[in-house]
Amino acid sequence: MANLQYVGFTTSLTAIAAACMLAGCGGGDSGTSTSAPNSQVKISGVVNSTAYTPGSTGNPTLAAGYFKGATVCVDSNNDGICESSENPVTTDANGKFTLTASALGPIIADISTSATNTANGSAVTAHEILRASLAQVTEQQTAGLVVVSPMSSEVQRMVEDNSTDYQTEKGNLASRVGVTSAQVLGDLTALTGTAQSLALAEANALNNRYVYATKKFDNKELYPDALAVPGGDPELASLAVSTATNTQKTDPRQPITFLQAQQAAFNVEGIPRYDSVFIVMLENKGTTTILGSQYAPKINGYLQANNQFTSYYATSNPSEPNYTALGGADDWGITDDSQWNCDATGANAVQDLPVPDNTQPGLANSPFTTTCTQAAGINHNIVGRANLFTALSSKGLRWRTYSESMNPGQDFRTDSIADTAVTAADHVYPPGTLGNNTTAIGNSTLTLPMPAGLYKTKHHPGMAYQNVRSAPEWKFSNRTLGGGQWDAALVSGSKYTVPTGYNVDQFSTDLQSGDVGQINFLMPDQCDDMHSITVTGTLSGGGTATASDCASGNNIITRGDNYVDYLVKKIQASPLWANRQKRVAIVLMFDEGTATTGHNACCGWVPGSSGAAASTNTNPLVKGSNGQFAQDTSIHNYNFGNHGHGESIFAVITNQAGAPKQVSDSDAYSHFSFVRTLQDMFQLADPTDDSTYMNRSKYTEKFIAQNILNLPEYQSSADTHFDAVRPMNHAYVIPKTYTQIQSSDTQTLTPQVGPDTTQKGVWAVK
Amino acid sequence: MQHFIRIAVCLLPLVLAACGGGSSDSNTTTSAPTATPTSAPSAATASAPLSLSAQVGHKLFFDATLSGSGKMSCATCHDPNFAYAAPNNLAVQLGGTDMLQPGTRAVPSLRYKEFTPAYADLLDNPDGVSVPGPGGGFTWDGRSPTLADQSSIPLLSANEMANASPADVVAKVKAAAYAPLFLQAFGSDAFNDTTKAFANIQAALQAYQMEDQSFHPFSSKFDLYVANKIGGNMTAAELRGLTVFTDANSGNCASCHYQGAGLNGSSALFTDFSYETISVPRNMDIPANQNAAYYDMGVCGPARTDHLPASPGAANSFCGLFKAPTLRNVSLRGAFFHNGVIHSLYQLVHFYNTRDTNPEIWYPTVGGTPKATPDASFPTYGLITTQYTGGTVQKFNDLPAAYVGNIDPQMPLDSRAPGATPPMTEAQMSDLICFLNTLTDGYQAPANPPAHGTCVD
Repeated sequence: MANLQYVGFTTSLTAIAAACMLAGCGGGDSGTSTSAPNSQVKISGVVNSTAYTPGSTGNPTLAAGYFKGATVCVDSNNDGICESSENPVTTDANGKFTLTASALGPIIADISTSATNTANGSAVTAHEILRASLAQVTEQQTAGLVVVSPMSSEVQRMVEDNSTDYQTEKGNLASRVGVTSAQVLGDLTALTGTAQSLALAEANALNNRYVYATKKFDNKELYPDALAVPGGDPELASLAVSTATNTQKTDPRQPITFLQAQQAAFNVEGIPRYDSVFIVMLENKGTTTILGSQYAPKINGYLQANNQFTSYYATSNPSEPNYTALGGADDWGITDDSQWNCDATGANAVQDLPVPDNTQPGLANSPFTTTCTQAAGINHNIVGRANLFTALSSKGLRWRTYSESMNPGQDFRTDSIADTAVTAADHVYPPGTLGNNTTAIGNSTLTLPMPAGLYKTKHHPGMAYQNVRSAPEWKFSNRTLGGGQWDAALVSGSKYTVPTGYNVDQFSTDLQSGDVGQINFLMPDQCDDMHSITVTGTLSGGGTATASDCASGNNIITRGDNYVDYLVKKIQASPLWANRQKRVAIVLMFDEGTATTGHNACCGWVPGSSGAAASTNTNPLVKGSNGQFAQDTSIHNYNFGNHGHGESIFAVITNQAGAPKQVSDSDAYSHFSFVRTLQDMFQLADPTDDSTYMNRSKYTEKFIAQNILNLPEYQSSADTHFDAVRPMNHAYVIPKTYTQIQSSDTQTLTPQVGPDTTQKGVWAVK
Repeated sequence: MQHFIRIAVCLLPLVLAACGGGSSDSNTTTSAPTATPTSAPSAATASAPLSLSAQVGHKLFFDATLSGSGKMSCATCHDPNFAYAAPNNLAVQLGGTDMLQPGTRAVPSLRYKEFTPAYADLLDNPDGVSVPGPGGGFTWDGRSPTLADQSSIPLLSANEMANASPADVVAKVKAAAYAPLFLQAFGSDAFNDTTKAFANIQAALQAYQMEDQSFHPFSSKFDLYVANKIGGNMTAAELRGLTVFTDANSGNCASCHYQGAGLNGSSALFTDFSYETISVPRNMDIPANQNAAYYDMGVCGPARTDHLPASPGAANSFCGLFKAPTLRNVSLRGAFFHNGVIHSLYQLVHFYNTRDTNPEIWYPTVGGTPKATPDASFPTYGLITTQYTGGTVQKFNDLPAAYVGNIDPQMPLDSRAPGATPPMTEAQMSDLICFLNTLTDGYQAPANPPAHGTCVD
């Protein structure tokens, strides 16, 4: 339907333009141009384009060019449409246009699918409207080159969003991009080197947004997005959902205007656009193990000073399914931590060529097992499924994973191994540094060789996905994270050939250069993430002992707490963080809690007891070629996945000075909600099309109600709100009499009754 | 609950109507009636059909001719109406060719066995926190690695189904009415090789138990509760009981009868497959226990033979270990613990509470003088209702003294002194029993739930 509407719109525009041109020719013959009134002005310029070419083994390949065949006019009434009265013209093969108007005014460029993008020589694939403000036109037309581009649209959008002025926002955008004010609204093709790559990265991201804004406008979508409506989803009013939690009885929304669409594209489902988010992954601690713990004073400090989600649920047990769900909103029936090739047969067969086993050059010590068959026969290689990594890459955006304590020279697809050539001293905690200890903890005479399994593939959110491991940017985007106990000695590694110039802390380097991803997963090693492993070393006086702070217990909580503090401070000290025109957020979260009682899952999955797990057909829903959602029955063991594992703390720290602080959102969210939130944050999905949300992140209350026959696990739900996914936007207002549902990870806390003290968004930037 | 609308198949017209009505959104692609099922709606709730092997297993399971007596099937002791455990309160069941031969252990439930891993001395605990230890396997001592393997024990034991040999069993199956089904499942030559045929009989029994929903219905009130389903509201008493169940400082039941997320996607199995030595009182109702030299010590034998002490009384940490069974359907049981010495939930919970504070009511006293009338304060719920003056309580009388050190010190059995305050109050134990009653499968929410009562208030 969207396409049909769009075709109709452009057809009429083309007809109007043709009529204008004919009229213009007729008029020209009469020679009136020589007697044109003095008030007529000419505005010349270009319409810039960008093009993304997939396949790069590094950062996305982006090119600058022009739109040929775009319709340009002075949009004197600011409605985003070139009416015939606005005398539109068409850009030439070099993207150039010259407008004649009675006065200077804001310009729009209407780029239909009949236009050509010279950056890649291809027809435009999606309708887009770009604009340049009157202030910009005024400034640039004197030099004869008004540049209409995603950048020019962005400056005007910022002016409207912030109630500021052109010069301010031009400067702000220049700061965001890292180029000069003169460059930021100039012809993108004229830039070179770093300035062009910086500008293209931003222009590409903006271009995605303005295409999306145009789609919203063309489709006359209701504004705002359903799940961003304050109070709750207004589409639920007539659906069979829990009446106790369905708070919105009418739909107050109206069709979106052009200017609303411009803003809405940067606030998908109420989640503002960020430039980069750093997700610090910690391991296996339920909420109350951390909240208020004397062993985690620094994390508690960040929680108190910043924003948090207080009812955040893991989706699975143990680690690997949780990380897999963080990567793509489903665990696909994976219920253990086994290697990614286990029981990957038939359509799931591993496509890594070759697998990183010990027959490969340089990998003689690889711990990778080439074949893996387990009794349960559960496939661990997820083929052809959507995930955040390929979603970002497909839009010319970037992802990174930063992992600590890998063996230099190892393959990312293998666990790290023990290396006695790499040693470190035991951590010693003086009195007062670990849970108010009165005597020192740790042994300075204990030398610890690097143990096996500091880095684990089970803790990589993209590892299970074949298309991520096979992505051309795989090696480029997996990087090292410093701050580890063995860092100083890693270059002495003896198990693999240490690469020349090996950087044990690429993360620090990237923070300085700004060459980070949009989504950056930070995986500390299994000591720094609070997981625990056995680390045994030798005492200088003879004998052996274990590390002071890597066994399970309280010491490792303090260790992780210190490491989190190190990471946060490092990010906060970076030029990236200091650039307030870039929106940067840090997430502190755990892969799972420890819930053993009652409600250990929410938001996209009801634990499959009540027979569902054992014997009913609970399968994920996928959209078929007929446009209908149907069960995908190809996944073995699916009934037993996604069972949840309790609640953990979830802190959000941003670099936005005007952002609300100390906001607590107690609505129930899960990894699936977080994936949906990240899709919204980076505009990787369209709320009007459920199928654009990956896997279980599409399981909103509305979607579930509409597909209930194919979702047996949701039937007879007592609280369909609790059981459904929503973006983490704090739009939903908890009813006054509603008592918070808790897992055992929060059961020492009094359950909240009624709404939060504020409905401000945790991610809000102002 | 009255606030909630039941989402069920019957509401499909409403769902569809809502979709058809749509919103004012002009983008009709988003308001398409996506609820229209493209696969059969019945698929949502129906059990998957049994495989051929499982169909054979179904026949075998209920076939009394598969016994030396011709009177005993698997279902005789594993009665589906009692969660596939014994239908009576006998400590041990009678079997053998004459149906008079007593067993040596209480009959375990066959429900929720599908996630049980093979036994390992250092099994990873499903709670992800506890250190690895003895766990997994089938029977009270874990000596069978799989359900299939386990089936040979009752089939061939002289005091159970008492078949003379595997060949004897195969011959009976070959003569059974379902022999054609067996051939269909395992091939036309499936009876030619007796060893293979017996293995297939075992596999069929396993397949039936793995596949048939009745072995893992997950249909208790607790399941409705954890799955956030209509009808799953626990009462105040039940929720308090759940707290006692999990509280490490009182009941601490969850420490071994783990109800959280576990191995291979399992959840709420109420066991962590682990083994503990708690030394329940010797049950003299078991004829084997008349022999004073006989001790059933679980993992260290004598039924299990791979962890035997090097010599009688030699140090062995496996002596006295018995498996923590699932507590699902526990209230259907008539005999508790491996030796069936306890016969009610009430008594069982009190045993945990007072084994150490009042050992005299659980273990025999020797050398004492019985009181004609017990003191008013003398508990009446114990196994021993006679109060003695003087004498010595034979605590841990079903475990050789050499292995008393193996006894698990976890709460509530924390070896506190006789006469000390027990870990749980009577009210807590009452609540705990209310909670345990929610673990019984087949729960139907009452139309008019009682407003008051022991398990309500």
